[in-house]
Amino acid sequence: MNERNKLLKKLSAAQFAVWELQLYLDTHPCDQNAIELCKRHSADAEALYKEYVEKYGALNKECCSTAEWLSDPWPWDIMGGDC
Amino acid sequence: MFSYEKKLQYPVNIKNPNPALAKVIISQYGGPDGELGASLRYLSQRFSMPYPELKGLLTDVGVEELGHLEMIGAIVYQLTRNLSIDEIKKAGFDAYFTDHTTGVYPTAASGAPYNAFSMQVKGDVIADLHEDLAAEQKARVTYDNLLRLIDDPDVREPIKFLREREVVHYQRFGEGLRIATDKLDAKNFYAFNPSFDKHCNKR
Repeated sequence: MNERNKLLKKLSAAQFAVWELQLYLDTHPCDQNAIELCKRHSADAEALYKEYVEKYGALNKECCSTAEWLSDPWPWDIMGGDC
Repeated sequence: MFSYEKKLQYPVNIKNPNPALAKVIISQYGGPDGELGASLRYLSQRFSMPYPELKGLLTDVGVEELGHLEMIGAIVYQLTRNLSIDEIKKAGFDAYFTDHTTGVYPTAASGAPYNAFSMQVKGDVIADLHEDLAAEQKARVTYDNLLRLIDDPDVREPIKFLREREVVHYQRFGEGLRIATDKLDAKNFYAFNPSFDKHCNKR
């Protein structure tokens, strides 16, 4: 796995933790432990997102140039290239 | 309003194309218990959901299902890349190829195209949440069946992730149902429909 994929995997793991906790909080909105845990993971995910964007370009259209938006890879492409 | 992030929820990197697998996995794209139906069901049901926890839950799970639809599309796309006509014929992918080449089309593995008859929006909180609980279990079984058919670990890993999500969503919908019934008349949950008879909601 190349460096870009490794960082993307770390970012996805951190974002997943946040997402899972947010889903849990939908049905347990007063669980203080989960709220704290969610904040901690959000901070991790935010830092990793920033690191990824600085190294490899933006992941959302709002904060990148058209050239960056149009550049490969797309999410369905094999990371690291095909042929 | 939706905002797109140019990445998958869980990585899909399949080294070896395998059109025979694409033929069965496509069912989770457009089949009766697939991710298209799932996202459409939850994102449509949420409009008539009465309680804030349920509006939030249906929105979040519906959005996640769109991410899963994208993952299934990526799996099918990667399994069908760089195919020769011989490989297409040998894998029995020729019928799909005739209609869609190697484009990703919402259809069931058994051939029926996506049909909204496979889902329901009843506009009743108890009926809709029971539909959602059943839907998560049916999708879980589909992933279990797929895992019996798949050997390639590159394909198994994202499918295992998606299977686990069905179990988590089932859990959350169960809690949602409990939240709803706690707000209803304990002697008769069916005394009124809180999605419709809004004046009856106790606050």
